[in-house]
Amino acid sequence: MVVRSVDLRSDTVTRPTDAMREAMASAEVDDDILGYDPTARHLEEEMAKMMGKEAALFVPSGTMANLICVMVHCEVRGSEVILGDNSHIHVYENGGISTIGGVHPKTIKNEEDGTMDLEAIEAAIRDPKGSTFYPSTRLICLENTHANSGGRCLSAEYTDSVGEIAKRHGLKLHIDGARLFNASIALGVPVNRLVEAADSVSVCLSKGLGAPVGTVIVGSSGFIEKAKRLRKTLGGGMRQIGVLCAAALVALQENLPKLQFDHKKAKLLAEGLNQMKGIRINVAAVETNMIFMDMEDGSRLTAEKLRKCLTECGILVLPGNSPRIRMVVHHQITTSDVHYTLSCLQQAVQMIQEPSLN
Amino acid sequence: MLGLAWSFTGSPISAPKHESTVSGNPALCIKMVTPVIRTVDLRSDTVTKPTESMRSAMANAEVDDDVLGSDPTAVLLEREVAEIAGKEAAMFVPSGTMGNLISVLVHCDERGSEVILGDDSHIHIYENGGVSSLGGVHPRTVKNEEDGTMEISSIEAAMRSPKGDLHYPVTKLICLENTQANCGGKCLPIEYIDKVGELAKKHGLKLHIDGARIFNASVALGVPVKRIVQAADSVSICLSKGIGAPVGSVIVGSKSFITKARWLRKTLGGGMRQIGVLCAAALVALRDNVAKLDDDHKKAKILAEGLNRIERLRVNVAAVETNIIYVDLPKDPKFGAEDACKSLEVLGVLVIPQTTFRIRIVLHHQISDSDLEYALSCFEKLFSSVPEEKV
Repeated sequence: MVVRSVDLRSDTVTRPTDAMREAMASAEVDDDILGYDPTARHLEEEMAKMMGKEAALFVPSGTMANLICVMVHCEVRGSEVILGDNSHIHVYENGGISTIGGVHPKTIKNEEDGTMDLEAIEAAIRDPKGSTFYPSTRLICLENTHANSGGRCLSAEYTDSVGEIAKRHGLKLHIDGARLFNASIALGVPVNRLVEAADSVSVCLSKGLGAPVGTVIVGSSGFIEKAKRLRKTLGGGMRQIGVLCAAALVALQENLPKLQFDHKKAKLLAEGLNQMKGIRINVAAVETNMIFMDMEDGSRLTAEKLRKCLTECGILVLPGNSPRIRMVVHHQITTSDVHYTLSCLQQAVQMIQEPSLN
Repeated sequence: MLGLAWSFTGSPISAPKHESTVSGNPALCIKMVTPVIRTVDLRSDTVTKPTESMRSAMANAEVDDDVLGSDPTAVLLEREVAEIAGKEAAMFVPSGTMGNLISVLVHCDERGSEVILGDDSHIHIYENGGVSSLGGVHPRTVKNEEDGTMEISSIEAAMRSPKGDLHYPVTKLICLENTQANCGGKCLPIEYIDKVGELAKKHGLKLHIDGARIFNASVALGVPVKRIVQAADSVSICLSKGIGAPVGSVIVGSKSFITKARWLRKTLGGGMRQIGVLCAAALVALRDNVAKLDDDHKKAKILAEGLNRIERLRVNVAAVETNIIYVDLPKDPKFGAEDACKSLEVLGVLVIPQTTFRIRIVLHHQISDSDLEYALSCFEKLFSSVPEEKV
């Protein structure tokens, strides 16, 4: 019997709050293509300032943001980008940088903490002397927080080191900062410091911050100008977007301070789950709002069985065949939801492991 | 608008001396007295702002994550537009450009494809060449006639031989545009569209209609949208133009087409989350603003007639079928369309230079009768008989 719905699939499921809805309804708008939408401009100026970059651009999604950034940095045919083998751009963006952008990827193994070994990055840079056979490396991409590693934070020092490598070799650095604010809060480091070494950053508004739609790209004025044209070409040039930007402005104001509580709830959930027989979670690795749950061998627990139990309890997680279950906490998950999840799983675990008792 | 004040002395206007906007026509002069407090935006029907009922609908929209699952309001909108267009399925996209790009790329999903389209079509002229630069599709243009059509025999001649030649790409698709913008918002006759559809079928090609302003065509012809687009495999329909929603277009087509389109939309970065907000406004637009397009057409006719009565201007009034007007200026190299637009802007009337001596005007539901009169009076002042004295 389902008595409640707890959506832990992603922080993208966040719905607009009343304050956002009000802001959207009363937003000042104009045609952002023929001229500019004033609310969009306000948001873009705010974001640029926050990130310590010259300019910013609102786009419909993180995928488009990353696609635009890679394509602008790699606008010469025959370009190559270095990025993590477990990065969102490489795994979850339909290979668009290649199929749409004609850019070749060179992947480096992502370590458990979301970084890539610095030496491995440097070794992957194509030697210009080999140009008869090689594409030319133009860009390095980092991801902060790193999703597939479990929402792990890249430190400012690590990012700076990669930035130095990039500079030394005449490359650009892009940070997929979809969950950058989570990193900033978790590390206690201001966002602009975190991305100081980057030439461009993409920052999602529709994830933990809870706006209904959108992402913002930041970079130099020249970069953003090119990004704007490419946004139009891709079909991301929208008209009265002040509606969406108004919600985003509220999100920045109201929900940024709440991210720390998402992290606390995630820790609470992780610790509780880790205490259950047969479930194993690297609690120390839960740095932000994401948890990866593994089942111990020989425990009779499988991801498939647990997903089924979760569904029966009204707890949503992403479907699939992965042996791990991912849970993502956001501001519309209450502490009571966390306790409910723990008690459902406790019951499920007992039932699966000791069927004779039922 | 430029922080200037001026009045009309009954003579045509020029900008102040420190601006180089008006090139030295001695007949044009200005006297600065009273400020303009009005803006009449005739640049495009995309400038329409959300109405009160749209804003209310947006605020109360039921939403969900349209990427992880489906947003309920988006589903409602997509169902409604599919029904209106008489197609199996539909999908919301951020813009008409993306609607067309996705449609062309899905129909032409094999490397080495070619698409036949008008040499003056929006896809070819105003979409950054994206079908090629992003999609790898080669365009083969056919001349657009004045009425927006392409000669049937020319379309057929442009098709690459199916025998397949070592030199040729493979023709996969024909694109039409209805209403045809660059030809002045012209409606393609239904019989014509059906003929092109037959031609496509005969040669195993698909037919896509860029129906950004399909509702204008439907209202002007008095024919339901679904009849107009019957022969098409896919259509892209704008919500953010004449019917006034803040953002978006919808693509319609078969279920399998839309499934592929959804994947490509994600790839291009058009997969947005709680889009019910935008779709709610679009549903209001469909409900409230389609019928109003007839008024836009009437106003366009009235304005066109008024402009044509100005001696120095020429408007082909009969050619004004929907909400777009082309105004031809005297071919004076010292005062072309760009200069005229700047002078009109000073008066608060916003229009667009289409070519060196042609101005484009687009009507929409947020242009009132009084706006119309004002705009006409500004044109009259700018282009009426020319006194020689300077003020």
